[in-house]
Amino acid sequence: MNAAGTLRRARAGLPGMLVPVALAAGLAALVIVAAGGHPPASQAEQVQQIAAGLHCPICKDLSVADSPAPLAQQMRQEIAQKVRAGESADQIRAGFVAAYGDSVLMSPPRRGVAAVVYYLPVLVLAAGLVTAFLLLRRWLRASRRDPPLAGPPLAGPPLAGPAQAGLPQLSAAQRRAVAKAVARLREEEPG
Amino acid sequence: MRWITSRRARLLGGVAAAVAVIVALLMTGLGRDPSVFASPLVGRMAPNFALPQLDGPPVTLARLRGQIVVINFWASWCMECQDEQAALDQAWQQFQDSGVVVIGVNFQDTAGAARAYVRTDAVTYPVVEDAGSKTALAYGLRGVPETFVVNRSGRIVKHVIGPVGAAGLATEINSMLGPGAQ
Repeated sequence: MNAAGTLRRARAGLPGMLVPVALAAGLAALVIVAAGGHPPASQAEQVQQIAAGLHCPICKDLSVADSPAPLAQQMRQEIAQKVRAGESADQIRAGFVAAYGDSVLMSPPRRGVAAVVYYLPVLVLAAGLVTAFLLLRRWLRASRRDPPLAGPPLAGPPLAGPAQAGLPQLSAAQRRAVAKAVARLREEEPG
Repeated sequence: MRWITSRRARLLGGVAAAVAVIVALLMTGLGRDPSVFASPLVGRMAPNFALPQLDGPPVTLARLRGQIVVINFWASWCMECQDEQAALDQAWQQFQDSGVVVIGVNFQDTAGAARAYVRTDAVTYPVVEDAGSKTALAYGLRGVPETFVVNRSGRIVKHVIGPVGAAGLATEINSMLGPGAQ
């Protein structure tokens, strides 16, 4: 009984164990790929990567890698020479930024005024969430403070006693007018 | 009712403030000379170069330290470069004895076309070739003509995009030379 019970318990717990094991395996695979999964880029690939990150100074929306302009071609040659000379991608980018300014970068830097591009959406999202939370809280409080008026359906018996509490007092003439209107509505109802 | 009024006033105030900010930004932009470009190189040391002259010995910028240097990027196919040619020649003729050097850097051109241009337009100041545009890239060039003015310490003090005028160039050089320098 003990062996069979243990087996049953183990079988029952197997699906539950599979999830963390699969997650751990997936995480390990990601770490391995991130750590050294990519082979080192060739010089041509490095040139392509650096050129793709630089904005062609005389083009509207093209990178140095994509632009056919002579100046972009010369920039690619310059990048290739610097890569061959052993300069790092950051050094090469810094050289172009020194001459052309930050506008030569396809992605604005995360500093100065350009940092707004990165942080403003997060701030707006946070402000939106806070506003939504505050509004929701206010609505919930208001609905708790002012519950909807309870009362019998229109077709029910005449209001009397506790059911009439909270409703405005009507004069006899007003009550008669309401009763007439209700009766007229009932007659007009189909079926 | 009062609450609605104050809310409307706040809304109007916000819109007015936003409009004021936009107008102020536009005014700032409109009040600037578009030909004087806010180059990141202004105020920094001019990138050195050693370039061969079309017809003459090479020119090395570092050897001109102590003199005011006007570096003009041009090409024979550039119409605006022809417009400013006279102003550059005039500055060279007027100030070369006061320690001012004008250098023409030929950009994306052929040596033959550049030589023909120099002969036809009677360019008198030194003209150098920038094969591969290495110097142009070091100066953050976007097109021609562009002109950089370098002071005696080797710092770039002005970057002009488009043709320079004779009067503006003379004023700039005179201000750097100081009173009675000529």
